[in-house]
Amino acid sequence: MAVSQNDARARLTEALIRTGDEDRAAFRDLYALTSAKLFGICLRICGERQAAEDVLHEVYLTVWRRAGAFEPGRASPITWLATIARNRAIDWRRANGRRPSLSMEHAAEIPDAAPLASETMEADEESHTLHHCLDGLEDRQRVAIRTAFFDGLTYAEIAERDSVPLGTMKSWVRRGLARLKECLDR
Amino acid sequence: MSDDLPAGPEPDMAAAELALGLLDGEERAAALRRVLAEPGFAGEVERWRFYLAQLFDLWPEAAPAGDVLARVERTIHGGRARPAWAWPAAAAGASAIAASLLVVLLFRPMPVMGPVQQPTVAARAAPMLVAAIVPSAKGDMVKAVYDPGSGMVRLTAASLAGAGKSAELWVIAGDGVPHSLGVLPKGEGMAMPVRQDMRPMMAAGSVLAVSIEPEGGSTTGAPTGPVVATGALSAV
Repeated sequence: MAVSQNDARARLTEALIRTGDEDRAAFRDLYALTSAKLFGICLRICGERQAAEDVLHEVYLTVWRRAGAFEPGRASPITWLATIARNRAIDWRRANGRRPSLSMEHAAEIPDAAPLASETMEADEESHTLHHCLDGLEDRQRVAIRTAFFDGLTYAEIAERDSVPLGTMKSWVRRGLARLKECLDR
Repeated sequence: MSDDLPAGPEPDMAAAELALGLLDGEERAAALRRVLAEPGFAGEVERWRFYLAQLFDLWPEAAPAGDVLARVERTIHGGRARPAWAWPAAAAGASAIAASLLVVLLFRPMPVMGPVQQPTVAARAAPMLVAAIVPSAKGDMVKAVYDPGSGMVRLTAASLAGAGKSAELWVIAGDGVPHSLGVLPKGEGMAMPVRQDMRPMMAAGSVLAVSIEPEGGSTTGAPTGPVVATGALSAV
């Protein structure tokens, strides 16, 4: 299990590095390995397929141009790629003045528990610690932090969606983040 | 245990808030200024990103349409196909200051740098973006207007850099990393094209920043000198 995870990561790292050298076959390989993950990110934040596909197009253009700047020692390849996708999708939503999609139900689609094997594999212990520390928060703090991450929402947007005064929302989240930090630093 | 009654001042969680993307407007601009000015803060943001990245594991996958890769390859290897989304018509609520900046800039003649066409002021579909780039010390505010239609950014006169130094303009978008837009000429307004691959960064909420660099601009690709002025882009 751990071996195949490491293999997958090695293969992805190699595809990304070779993409940085403008290797077209490596770029296709990279797309095959990562497009479902990155599209999942774009789709959730953009809230519509067409926009999400357009953003995904932008994301892979960015990856093609910036792959040479990827530093294997600093981040896992999937984290590097997922971060670009999330940032691009958020930029799109804000540039287009889109309101975040409204249903809190679809927030429930993201599983609560840590997966058995961590894809990012920065350090499995870190992963368990983050999930463990999130579990230690109050529900409303955990939900707000997860919403910010998975839906790409700002304080103002989360407060509006939950019909909570902005100041109250900030207070909850700040204290939640402080507690999270305390737990992570332990 | 209840958090309903806060005891004492709220903790400063700006690094986490920035990493999560919770901030907007002036709060976000202030946090980005700290990234540029305080290495400790920048490190903290980086640490939060690292922790939060574990959440990507939980993100459900979804299959995109089959033609996305072909579209990407067409754009990279051939043709000059524009992405379909471009910039739609919806102009967000305009603030009074943003609107007045636009008026000032649109009706002030400025030299155009490089072989670019004059942006037209005619009716256009995409919302203009404006920023007031405010110096942290003394000095004049630089007003910037970005036209997504032409890809041009226009700026009022700046005298931010002393002799033997250059003022360089940066855009900081969702990735929190400054990307150079170019060096500002001394004492005159200007218009300059934004590189195609950097245009998506020119979005409402992105921050424009000016740093002081050696004559001719930073050679490292990142700001090397102090950041002397910043301002957030907003739609008009």
